[in-house]
Amino acid sequence: MKRSTIATAGIAAAAALVLVGCSSGNPGGDPSEPSDTGTATSTETEGGDAEPVTISVSGWSLDTTPEFQVLADGFTANNPHVTVELKEYDAAEYNTLLTADLAAGAGPDIITQKEVKFLTTFQEGGQLLDVSDVPLPDGISGTSSYEVDGVAYAVPYRQDSWVLYYNKDLFAAAGVDEPDGSWTWDDYADAAAAVTTGLSNAGSAAKGAYLHRWQSTTQGFANAQAPGADILSGDFGHLAPFYERVLAMQDAGSQIDFNTSNANQLTYQGEFGKQNAAMLPMGTWFVATLISQQAAGEADDFAWGIAPIPQLDASTTGTDGTPVTFGDPTGFGINARVGDDKVQVAKDFLAYAASEEAASALAGIGITPALVSDAVAEIFFAVDGAPTDELSKFAYSTNEVKPENPTSNQTATVQGILGDLHTAVLSGSESIESAIAAAQQRFDNEVN
Amino acid sequence: MEVALTTVTAAPPHSAKPPPRRQMRLPVRNALVGWSFILPNFLGFAALTLVPVLVLFYMSFTNWNIFGGSEWIGLDNFRRLLGDGSFRIAVVNTLYYSALHIPLTIACSLGLALVLNNKLRGAAFFRTAAFFPYITSIVAIAVVWNLMFSPDYGPINQVLHLVGVENPPGWLTSTTWSMPAVVIVSTWRDMGYYMILFLAGLQAVPRELHEAARVDGASTVQRFFNVTLPCLRPTTFFVTVIITISSFKIFDLILVMTDGGPGQSTLVLSQFIFRKGFEENQFGYASSAAVALFLMCIAVTAAQFLWNKKRSS
Repeated sequence: MKRSTIATAGIAAAAALVLVGCSSGNPGGDPSEPSDTGTATSTETEGGDAEPVTISVSGWSLDTTPEFQVLADGFTANNPHVTVELKEYDAAEYNTLLTADLAAGAGPDIITQKEVKFLTTFQEGGQLLDVSDVPLPDGISGTSSYEVDGVAYAVPYRQDSWVLYYNKDLFAAAGVDEPDGSWTWDDYADAAAAVTTGLSNAGSAAKGAYLHRWQSTTQGFANAQAPGADILSGDFGHLAPFYERVLAMQDAGSQIDFNTSNANQLTYQGEFGKQNAAMLPMGTWFVATLISQQAAGEADDFAWGIAPIPQLDASTTGTDGTPVTFGDPTGFGINARVGDDKVQVAKDFLAYAASEEAASALAGIGITPALVSDAVAEIFFAVDGAPTDELSKFAYSTNEVKPENPTSNQTATVQGILGDLHTAVLSGSESIESAIAAAQQRFDNEVN
Repeated sequence: MEVALTTVTAAPPHSAKPPPRRQMRLPVRNALVGWSFILPNFLGFAALTLVPVLVLFYMSFTNWNIFGGSEWIGLDNFRRLLGDGSFRIAVVNTLYYSALHIPLTIACSLGLALVLNNKLRGAAFFRTAAFFPYITSIVAIAVVWNLMFSPDYGPINQVLHLVGVENPPGWLTSTTWSMPAVVIVSTWRDMGYYMILFLAGLQAVPRELHEAARVDGASTVQRFFNVTLPCLRPTTFFVTVIITISSFKIFDLILVMTDGGPGQSTLVLSQFIFRKGFEENQFGYASSAAVALFLMCIAVTAAQFLWNKKRSS
């Protein structure tokens, strides 16, 4: 009896360790530099001639997502009579929790739009105020994602876009030319194969590329670059060549296959940061992460850069062209229930968040603002550890960013169908032709 | 003296009459006392379960999308369900999962209970060990089993290779094998819990019956089928009902292990409801799917009760 009690205690301790080990994830989504300020700002209104106003703004993971605090601080510095209160939600359940609050009439004054596909839900539910009259700077991108029938319901302040990260040291070790901005996807596949071979000859097991498991890593580029592609049309034929290329790269061994990545729950940060892959298509949010992980020693120390994402054909390549990529903005909308006394202040906040002043502040903490001017790009790359080459700056600041999720109340359903297509094809359990046929059939059946 | 007597005798009629409050009939009083004990729990149940469920029934006849009004659309949602290919796949997958999971779990947990009911050295340790998967975090289970099922590097396929299987299954990467893989994990996880229930049932099997059967020359197998199993019937019935309901509403394990994939090969009803409701904001439509799941559970449970009643009469 005594022996079994001790054994039981031992197992309990072992299990506790397993559980603790599995719970140390990164809750913040896109990690950035930690904020050194508190969670809420309150500015004294001494001597101000305006009435004090408090507006609330929804956000998530405030500890690891300092952008809300930066914007609140910047806005209150210009408007000392305003207090900006940040209302924190869980990052993973943000839309569900926010939806519940709004349905109960307890939502924040300013509703942060974390995902574009929820905008129509809020808009159709009458939760968002028309913000078409908020002044926006020229050259800001992502505004079309927030327009329904020509009326703007939110203003973008952040717009990540997808670029190609590459490891300069691995390219040198493999003896392959680095990306020069002229690549099509076929050039990318050839380079991945060449780097894999070169590294293997040099005695390294690293792969030429790593493609993360998200459906957007294949479909996002196909939807943005294939001529006439529109996922809401129910015609998904344009996905085929993109999947065929990914499958060919998996078969050739120039990137880890989907199933292995899935079984081992590989992270893109680990695969690129630990030099297991020489190239990685990823969003610009990873720049700040990679810099901080290299500084903290979590990632290896190596030289890297970013290049424009490979293109479908040569018409949009080269540093004299405008490469086409994709990305969704993050923005602010105004709660339709906001009091009359707060409407103007809320609109001023939106105008500030979209301005070049706010864009510079955001770039300073490694965030890609919706407005990327040359000055903003300079600030972004002035951070210690950021790449300094011209191609990286070009890739960051010159591009045509197509929306990943079209603004429609059918987007969520269609993306669900395409997500199933993605896992069926990349796991190798269904051919791309039959998966596309099945997806189109489901579209006809389920989307109305 | 006489005066005193009359006063004394006049008093009893008044005092013998009990106060009106005490006249409440005993059954009513008992019921009230009983209800007052249940009340705190019932209030919670009513606020958090009963009322939402009733609202859900109403919502299944509307096109509610969480904001604004919900328009009454009659049976449209249910008509749409009948024509929805994904819903059909979810129903078939749920039935497929249940058909594998229910018998397998009952067999495994009953087998474990029989083995561990013996006076085996270290039985307490093994009972604890068998119960462990049930109290382990489901996310940890999913991560570890995902690794073990890895078609090229996982230990399961390596063992299969060693014993001479030429083409071991692709497990979670194959649309054919993903559901059996999930069933294996859920059986492994659940059998310890149901083993405890069976162990409790086995304690209630009268020893005399076994002794009598042994004296009559019954073999171990005969004693199992003619003594143990009939005596275990109330437990088996209870376990079957509970496993059936939990199989129909399987959600967490599938969500963390496969998320319904690859393709739609492990899409089950609860996940269909979750996707329609919380990912696509079609709460009215999701409610109607939830009602369908509810009706399935009720129908099967009622059938089991009827069958059990017939068997016991």
